[in-house]
Amino acid sequence: MDKKTLKHIAELSRIELTDKELEEFTPQMETILDSAKKLQEVDTSNVSPMKRHISFDDLREDIAQDSLSQGDVLKNANYKENGYIKVYGKIFGSIEES
Amino acid sequence: MENSKYDIIIGLEIHVQSKTLSKMFCSCATNYFEKEPNTHVCPTCLGLPGALPVPNKRAIELCILLGLATQCDIDNEIHFDRKHYFYPDLPKGYQISQYKRPICSDGYIDIKDEDGKKYTIGIERIHQEEDVAKSTHHTESSTGQKYSLIDYNKSGVPLIEIVSKPNIRSAYQAKEYANRIRQIVRYLRISDADMEKGQMRCEPNISIQEKGKWEYKDNGIAPIGDYKLNTKVEVKNIGSISAVEKSIKYEIERIINTIEKGENIIQQTRGWNADKGITEFQRSKETADDYRYMPDPDIPIIEIAQKDIERISKEIVELPNEKIERYQKEYDLSDYDCTVLTADREISNYFEDIVSLLTEGKDIQKAAKLASNWVTGAVFSIANDKKIDINEKNFPKEDLIELIKRFEDGTLTRNKAEELLRRSIDKGNPLPKLIKNAINEAQKSATNLGDIVNQVIKENEKAVSDYKSGKQTTIGYLIGQVMQKTKGTADPNEAKSVLIEKLNG
Repeated sequence: MDKKTLKHIAELSRIELTDKELEEFTPQMETILDSAKKLQEVDTSNVSPMKRHISFDDLREDIAQDSLSQGDVLKNANYKENGYIKVYGKIFGSIEES
Repeated sequence: MENSKYDIIIGLEIHVQSKTLSKMFCSCATNYFEKEPNTHVCPTCLGLPGALPVPNKRAIELCILLGLATQCDIDNEIHFDRKHYFYPDLPKGYQISQYKRPICSDGYIDIKDEDGKKYTIGIERIHQEEDVAKSTHHTESSTGQKYSLIDYNKSGVPLIEIVSKPNIRSAYQAKEYANRIRQIVRYLRISDADMEKGQMRCEPNISIQEKGKWEYKDNGIAPIGDYKLNTKVEVKNIGSISAVEKSIKYEIERIINTIEKGENIIQQTRGWNADKGITEFQRSKETADDYRYMPDPDIPIIEIAQKDIERISKEIVELPNEKIERYQKEYDLSDYDCTVLTADREISNYFEDIVSLLTEGKDIQKAAKLASNWVTGAVFSIANDKKIDINEKNFPKEDLIELIKRFEDGTLTRNKAEELLRRSIDKGNPLPKLIKNAINEAQKSATNLGDIVNQVIKENEKAVSDYKSGKQTTIGYLIGQVMQKTKGTADPNEAKSVLIEKLNG
């Protein structure tokens, strides 16, 4: 982990870090990655993946049900306008919409 | 656009919203169009912590159905992955999509090229994902602060992504390909694919390379020797099939001009401006996308059995390409008629019904020609003017058959018949009543015409004897007299024939 990688990761999450913060966080991130590395040392070659398998018939049938009320949806929003959730700031940057 | 020095290489990404009742991973209704914002939303599609996505069976069936219809290989397991990016339209911070194992891969569809020849466009993959929320961007007038308004109703609607191979070689082919995809999803009722409503979105990527300096390799293109490939440009915000062609044409010219000026093409996304007919720079893409894909731990691996595929393939119906072939063989119709009549499943079914109703006691090709004339002529024109669909409700088949028969036996002229058909839509007058009235009126005026002709003959003894002694031109004078008496309402041709009949009789 170097400062450049950390800066990139921060940008992807729309977090602005000062040089001082980058300096401070880089070694901390290093420690986290080291811990993960330790886990990866465990030999799992004989352990099958934990991911569950289901069959097609187990899938949810296409039936529409009631949603939350608009009031409930907006309850936790800091800002709202005419039923919309309002978001301030330039979070948008250059990341793409799908 | 044709330039001997360069090759045009286009890939097309198409998204279609599936026509399911509920969303991809929750039970919220998908019919959000023009509904109050944030009323079709639950903890799952709002991305609240702890909510669990549960895949929609029908949505996955529709994705497989499209794969089958486009000759794709269907995977025997479905794996969902998380695609991470941070944006307010994506409440979870990731979109559930598919990365390494799309449900469908390596298919193709056939189109007709500009010269009428068959051209096959490869499909790299078709995968299932979820739509994002709708955001609109504004500026607060009092403070000048920028803000966005978010409506999560669209968030989580099933979305199918179709990625072509980069073997589309002209703007025309791209348009035909998009059109064919739209036809197929409509025929199979996978999606309404209304581009204006955002149910279908097309995003072409275009690159221009020097001829002979590149080759196809691993679903992409690679340079030959030390040639450096020009980067590709993506175009977004395309709101119609015709804009697919227009925007690509514009881009090809723009890129070639840039290259000719000796400038570098930067990797970028551009937006199509339909009003101005140009593409506009949106953003450059200096770094490769970094979506940090990972398997979604919330969703188990779904096994697809052969019996599932068999069940789903029963939904495949005769597709436009096959229909066109059959129409040519069975009905002997022109290329144009076949293309127009098969463009829409409902219309082609309607047309085929008319043909079989007309065929009784008639040659099938004659019946088809007649049906085709009426459907692509009067019916299309009226449906277009009135902005109505061609179906049993708007154009009852039995009534149309009656009208065509009356035209065939000469009771009604083509103009009169078309006028009646139009009026039957206009005022909601049932066509059989209009036909009956028209026939009655015609008979009545015919009787009247007979009386008037008798009168004219009586009042113009000299002209009549002139005519009878061989001075044929006098007939014109007599027709004039009839027209005068009927105040111009009689049909001069009819007046003439009735006159001749009576004079000779």
